[in-house]
This record gives sequence, structure tokens and C-alpha cells, in this order.
Amino acid sequence: MTSVVSSEPSESGSQTLTISVGPQHSGSGHMRLIIEMDGDIIIRASPDPGYVHRGTEKIYELRNIIKNIPVIERPAIIDASNLNHAYIRAVEELQGIEAPPRAQYLRCLLNEMNRITSHLYWLSIFGVFLGHTTMFMWPLGDRELIVDLQEKLTGARITHSYIVPGGVRRDLPQGMKEEAIKRTQYLEKRLEEYDKIFFENPIFTARAKGVGKLSRDEAVKLGAVGPALRGSGVDYDVRKDEPYAAYPELDFNVCTRQEGDSYARSMARIDEIRESCKLIRQIVQKIPSGPFRRKAPIVVPRGESYSRVESARGECSVYLIGDGGDKPYRLRFITGSYRNMAIIAPVLIGGHMADMPTAWWSIDYWPVEADR
Amino acid sequence: MSASQKARQQPDEDPIAMLADGINVWIGKLGDIVHTIVDRTPIRHVINWGRIYSLWPVNITTACCSAEFGAASGARHDLERFGVLPLGSLRQSDLMVVEGTVTNKMAKRLKMIYDQMAVPRYVIAMGDCSISGGLFHDSYSIVNGVHEFLPVDVYVPGCPPRPEALEQGIIMLQEKIRSSKVYEHT
Repeated sequence: MTSVVSSEPSESGSQTLTISVGPQHSGSGHMRLIIEMDGDIIIRASPDPGYVHRGTEKIYELRNIIKNIPVIERPAIIDASNLNHAYIRAVEELQGIEAPPRAQYLRCLLNEMNRITSHLYWLSIFGVFLGHTTMFMWPLGDRELIVDLQEKLTGARITHSYIVPGGVRRDLPQGMKEEAIKRTQYLEKRLEEYDKIFFENPIFTARAKGVGKLSRDEAVKLGAVGPALRGSGVDYDVRKDEPYAAYPELDFNVCTRQEGDSYARSMARIDEIRESCKLIRQIVQKIPSGPFRRKAPIVVPRGESYSRVESARGECSVYLIGDGGDKPYRLRFITGSYRNMAIIAPVLIGGHMADMPTAWWSIDYWPVEADR
Repeated sequence: MSASQKARQQPDEDPIAMLADGINVWIGKLGDIVHTIVDRTPIRHVINWGRIYSLWPVNITTACCSAEFGAASGARHDLERFGVLPLGSLRQSDLMVVEGTVTNKMAKRLKMIYDQMAVPRYVIAMGDCSISGGLFHDSYSIVNGVHEFLPVDVYVPGCPPRPEALEQGIIMLQEKIRSSKVYEHT
């Protein structure tokens, strides 16, 4: 539903056109963008979020800390365990307990799998946006391999509720190690084929290189996070800068690109998939033996805690206040997409309307996660 | 003022307009006869067969079940083998899959989109949230079930439903269309 809102002459005498993109639009998802154009050039863009605002922060205050786990996952179900991990770390910090080392490794294993599935889902939708149907089918098909692994580990395809206070719900199943190594190696081979068909494709490079520029200074100033920030050349990753769980013991690189355009942001994500494949193999080989869960209290003690993790779309943070009951007194929950909403307008302004899908989706803005 | 409006104002003086009105009445009566013939003869099955295998869903995602809808459209589950091709425009689509929670803000748009779709149109409520509010039933900003403002044909429970469940829902909808009358939905 791309409809004309108004058409008024500007002060300089030229005619501008204001159009509304979404919410019924294959390119906008569950949000609306109000775009003002001069000819074909976007001169003003303002996002209209809130179509999926479900009031989760109020709901967190009504459920006890265990029942909150499924609710906390729902904002980004393709990246559920990263969000869950942020919440559980805040709860554990307040309760003063720490999960056993095996559980820390299992948490990282699921987090990395979620990162891969989330990026592959993004890539498939990116393919649709650019009219590349093969790139819609391939990543979704390869994503199912990792989704199967998640199902084997946790029992659920995408909403796992796997990470609980004091550890994880289930131990590593039999044969998981070999399966994970085999599938990640296969995925790495497939990524080379993606490069051939999509990322080195002259049509894609012409549409993505130099489109949606975001300079390093602007990205830092506006508080961008995740691959959108690393695509602009900032070397910032919570896993490296404030290591948590088993990440200090694992060897991986932070993937950055210098150009700051749509292509750089896309390639930062593809590099991250490669790093995550390496991380999964490291985790299943290095995982220590021992218990995977310990007893944890059901109450949140009085106090405050703050935790942050690197989710697929950037830094996700949880600020928790407990009052001694079994429910959180207040739970502030900020996700990567919410922070990245600030860079939607600067990325779009100055570009062509035809480049809007490329520039917009290269941010990987997931409206459900931003609205909460 | 267009020519047809002028004609409508002075019907007695314009013989061509009178003739046109008469023809319209007869076409209307002919339409009723055609409806009866179609619904009582095997033509019905031919038309229903066409509808069953071209269920194009409208591009509206309301919440997080869209992830599983995407997975169902993808390579492994491939909804296109049931004729579900999620690339149609609003006026050419027959099916609305309500993918998850409907907030108060989205409900108005959803109704607007439903009203613009051409008949016959079908609605699948996918996920617990669109059936009854689900996990967010006590939230201040959501509609507890899409049936409050849209006629739902098939409910697919799950939070989120697996792609197989969505496929099952689509097969159920196809069964429903197969046994329905052609002009039932107008």
C-alpha cells in the first residue's frame, strides 16, 4: 500500500511528493516509512514504528521470572536465545549465582546457531527485496539445517526457552558434535557459492555499493549497533569488549568493513556467519564435562542489575530491578533494532527511491524486536 | 460532473440512458440465472479447482509468526506447491494469513486491507496470538483474537506454529473451498 499522502510545492518552487510505504508492503514488514521525495531523491524519511508494540515491558512485571522466559524471546523469535541470554544473565547477577562451565558453553553454542539462522533469514529477505528469487530459496533451505540442529539440542525449532537461571534445560545430545561439524562445514562451502551467485554478481554490486552510506562518525554519534555499526568500520562487539559466558576462552574475530554502505553491512553479516561456524566447531570440541544445570532460587532479590549481550542485530541490554518477590519490579529491555531505528533516516536520505529497499533492509531492522 | 451522472439525472429525456438501464436490469437477472446454473452444475467444481490452487496471500505481516511463514515459503517446505505464492498485490490476492499478534494500531490497517481485497477472500489465523491473544492476552495494546473483526476460515494454533502446521491449515482451507458454493463469499 504505497499511497500518496500529499503533494505540495516547496519554497524553491519544486514539487515534493510525500508517500507512505507500508505497513502493507512487501518491503517494509510491520512498519511504515513516510518518505518525502524531490523527483526521485529522498529528502526526508521518518519511520512510524509501533505496529507490533505488545506492551511486553508491562507483561514482564506480571509474570514470575521463569514464566518471563518465553515472553522475552518473542520479540525476535529468529534470534530467541540471544535475548534470553541477556535476561538470564541479569537474573543470575541479581541472584548471585553462576552457571557451570558446561552450561556456559552450551549457551554460546545456541547463541551462535541463532546468529547464523537470523543472518540467513535476513539474507533470504534481502534476496526477495532485490528480486533475486534464488537468493530467497537458498538461504532458507540452508537455514533449515541449522534449525534442525537447534531442534535436536533444545526440542524446539526457533523458540527454545533453553537458557534458564542456573544453566540450560538439556544436555548436549548424542551425535551432536559430529553433526554440528559436518553441517557448519557444508554451510561454509555454500557461502562460497552465495558469493558467486549473489555477492559478486554485477547486478547486486551495482545496486548495493555506494548505496545507503553511513559514515563512521555518524554511526557512532547516532548509536548504531551490530553489523550496521561494524559495516561502518567501528570495531565494537560485546563478545570481545565485555566478554561473557564462554566467549573469553574462544578464538574469533570481529568482522568489520570500512565502506559503510549497504554492501559493507551485508558483507559484515556474511563474515559473521563464517566466524559463527568456526565458533560452533570450537565449542563442540572444547566443551568441558560436568553438570549442565544447578539449583537456582525462584525469587529476584532486592537490587538492580544490568547485562548486555551481542545479539544478531547488535547489542541487546536488560536492566532489571528486583524487590524480593518472584516477579521483576521493573525490566527495561533494549534491543539492537530499537537502537538502529536512529540510522534509518540518515541511510535513506539523499538516495534514490529505487534504492530504498537495499538501503533499508541492509540495516536488518526487525520491527517486532524494536517495538517489543 | 461525468456523463453518466448527467444521464442519471434526466432519465426520462434520454432514450439511450433508458435503454442502458433496461439492459442493466436484464443483465442483473441473467446474472442470477448464471449463479444458479454455476452452483448446481459441475461448473462449480471447475471454478473451485481454480481457486484451490491459486491462493495468493496478501503481503501483510502482523508479528513474529512471519518468521515461520517465511520458512514455510522457503526451500524445504515450499508453499508454492499448494499454489500459495506470496508475491501477489493487494487486489489480486485471495488469502490473508494473519501472522501473529494483532495490535490495536495494526487492527485498523488489517481491516482496511481486508476490505480492499477482491472476493472471494479467505482468512487464516496463524498462531495463538491471532486466535485468542495467546502469550500476550493481558497486554494493554493488543486485540484478543482476530475473529473480533474478521471472519476467520481456518485457525492454526501454535506459538509459533511449525511450517507443517501451516501447510495443514492450508490443506484444510482447500478442503473447505472444495465443498463450498461459488458465490457464497460475495
